[in-house]
Amino acid sequence: MNLNDILGSDVVDGDGQRLGEVSDVRFALDAGAGQLLSQGRFVGIVVSPRTASSFLGYERQELSQPWPLAQLLRWWHRGSFLVLWEDIAVLGSREVGLRPGFTAYDARLTR
Amino acid sequence: MKRLLGVALGILTAIGGFVDIGDLVTNAVVGSRFGMSLAWVVLVGVVGICLFANMSGRVAAVSGRATFEVIRERLGPRAGLANLGASFLINVMTVTAEIGGIALALQLASGVSYMLWVPFALLAVWLVVWRVKFSIMENVTGLVGLSLVVFAVALFLLKPDWGALAGQAFALSVPAQEGAGVYWYYAIALFGAAMTPYEVFFFSSGAVEEGWKIKDLLQSRINVLLGFPLGGFLSIAIAGCAAVVLLPAGISVTSLSQVALPVAQAGGQLALAVLILGVVAATFGAALETTLSSGYTLAQFFGWSWGKFRRPAQAARFHVSMIVVLLAGVAVLATGVDPILVTEYSVVFSAIALPLTYLPILVVANDPQYMGKHVNGRAVNIAGVIYLFIILVASLAAIPLMIATGAGA
Repeated sequence: MNLNDILGSDVVDGDGQRLGEVSDVRFALDAGAGQLLSQGRFVGIVVSPRTASSFLGYERQELSQPWPLAQLLRWWHRGSFLVLWEDIAVLGSREVGLRPGFTAYDARLTR
Repeated sequence: MKRLLGVALGILTAIGGFVDIGDLVTNAVVGSRFGMSLAWVVLVGVVGICLFANMSGRVAAVSGRATFEVIRERLGPRAGLANLGASFLINVMTVTAEIGGIALALQLASGVSYMLWVPFALLAVWLVVWRVKFSIMENVTGLVGLSLVVFAVALFLLKPDWGALAGQAFALSVPAQEGAGVYWYYAIALFGAAMTPYEVFFFSSGAVEEGWKIKDLLQSRINVLLGFPLGGFLSIAIAGCAAVVLLPAGISVTSLSQVALPVAQAGGQLALAVLILGVVAATFGAALETTLSSGYTLAQFFGWSWGKFRRPAQAARFHVSMIVVLLAGVAVLATGVDPILVTEYSVVFSAIALPLTYLPILVVANDPQYMGKHVNGRAVNIAGVIYLFIILVASLAAIPLMIATGAGA
């Protein structure tokens, strides 16, 4: 499966209720070293209620300028949340299903 | 002393490099139809290109990434590819216009039809792109292009009524004989001519070619902030010449000889010779820049090795793609389409595509992860957002105006 298959697909909760779209995928580079590089570990997906378009980097709190642009993009992505790997029930190419009682984390990245 | 020379050379190159076939034709067309009443657009465009070049040059110097590498990284492959498609098409269109411009200038000098000059122009551009060192190529065309100062000299020799010219420039109103739609259509064309995306691709890739570091930023800033405004001054002189000679005579510009007419009238054959030299150098320089820009954008998006600092064999795909672009441009010219017409469309499409490249650069120039402490300052950001708005409005208004006015007819 390619990441492109997941990006933009619909996200539904345990009851089949649509929550939004996958707008980003988070990785952590804290696993053991692979052949050359540290292997990426799939942390979770970022679900955006309105748009699967890019955050353009404004998910990181340190990027806050130019102010009107930052406000516009954050407003557009308002209500976005991060769902961890263990809360994902199905990772299909059309639809991503979450487990009942999943935890929605803050999608913002602090320093 | 050596440093001072470097600065002087940089400024002179920026002046000569600012004017290309788009500026020549659009300013002359506008001058002959609207007098000086659109001179303010050149001012807006020059400030915009200074801002844009300053940001992309700084991003390139600090992060080592040229504009399209940044675009690909920030927008992702899909949106990045759409962006590449638009930018690349406009690049090819501009290459076509510039090669046509070289050929038209040589026709003016020789009397031999421009169609016969096109293959020579193609060969010359390709040879230089392939063989000549980046800095030599940049400086020679820029310096010889400075002979376009003859437009400013001609304007003085024509002894115009300066008060009347200034009056047109500061009236900020649509001339009575023209409609508002046409006026704004040409305002966008002029804006696109001053602020073409290829200039930024070339400028930021050039920064990588020349291995700019943070300590070189000051010099690049001086080059841009002095060179581009002086280039803009040349643009206004072109419009001024047309406003003094062509507008009263009711001549509307449809060929390069009409662009040259006021200069010939003011300074005779000698001035005309200098003008032709300047036009050849300016269009030749711009043909090199646009050809390279096509290669830069493609290679940077797809991750090929690129740059003239590598031997051609080590950047084979980069060089092959430029050959293909040149051949495509010549194929378009071979259909017999008027290069002046291609130019007029290319500047408008430049304005349409501008937000695609401007927005990612504005965002990345603010990103501390890339830029560290060299992020945009407050003043640059205020100007940056104002220009984002102007660029968006121009881009969105261009096509409706093009349809409504029949492309400014």
